[in-house]
Amino acid sequence: MSVYLYALLSGHPASACGQGICAEPLRLVASGGLVALVGDVSAMPEVTALTLRAQDAVLRRLAAEVDAVLPARFGTLLADDAALADALVQRRVQLVQALGRVAGCEQMTVRVWGDGPIPSPPRDAEPAAGPGPGTRYLTDRRRAHEAAHRVPELEPLRQRLGDLVRAERVERHDRPPLLATVQHLVARGTGAHYLDVVDACRTGLRPCRVSVTGPWLPYAFSEDAA
Amino acid sequence: MTTPSRAAARQILETADDSLLDLVDNLLNRGVVISGEVLLGLAGVDLVYLRLTALLCAADRVRPRGEP
Repeated sequence: MSVYLYALLSGHPASACGQGICAEPLRLVASGGLVALVGDVSAMPEVTALTLRAQDAVLRRLAAEVDAVLPARFGTLLADDAALADALVQRRVQLVQALGRVAGCEQMTVRVWGDGPIPSPPRDAEPAAGPGPGTRYLTDRRRAHEAAHRVPELEPLRQRLGDLVRAERVERHDRPPLLATVQHLVARGTGAHYLDVVDACRTGLRPCRVSVTGPWLPYAFSEDAA
Repeated sequence: MTTPSRAAARQILETADDSLLDLVDNLLNRGVVISGEVLLGLAGVDLVYLRLTALLCAADRVRPRGEP
């Protein structure tokens, strides 16, 4: 048997953990101040629509009973509890920080659609700062990184959402019609209000269109935790 | 250790609604990774994600909320 990791929790759920995606009893493993939700399975679960929905459902049910949930990536299998504890100890600081970041929050996913990206504003007339090629190279790298994580098409929506958004993750695709995926971390229970704001803002986003799904567990805000 | 087959990936994506596509994205591409060794067992995930991206980019899937 191996240990299948579902999530890290901020505490112990009040009720029983129930069953996992292989109908195995779920249990909690406490290590270094972290609480891991796991099941004992004989093999890696297959990736099917059923198992994906089942894993999300397991996490949603328990998320309602704790303040913070960091979902694990599907298919996270470890040899035993000792291997899990070892992995958690090595990343304890980042994981605790990530749990704090998503406490009381859920995720909304915005996809930005259009015929093509809005042209970037012209670069500053001055060349990349710095006396040498190394500095110019690093400056260009920074600019490229910033461009990959910027969605100016969404700026009118950002202004309307204001403090509703606690954190943001941006992934530009620039493969029309899909231009970008933007993940927003919002307080639990504010998803409906978030959707209303988006609907009220659609006209201001033209020629781009947006589609929204959620609320989700904070998947996109867990991936950089370790 | 089982890996998802091409057939499994196709079955998921060709029968998926929008919420399932986001579920695929969230569960297979995001979430905490506490052991890189484990993910080697899911080599087929890249295929799933590529297909997901292709589907999301298909114009006929653009159905913004509140629009027909």
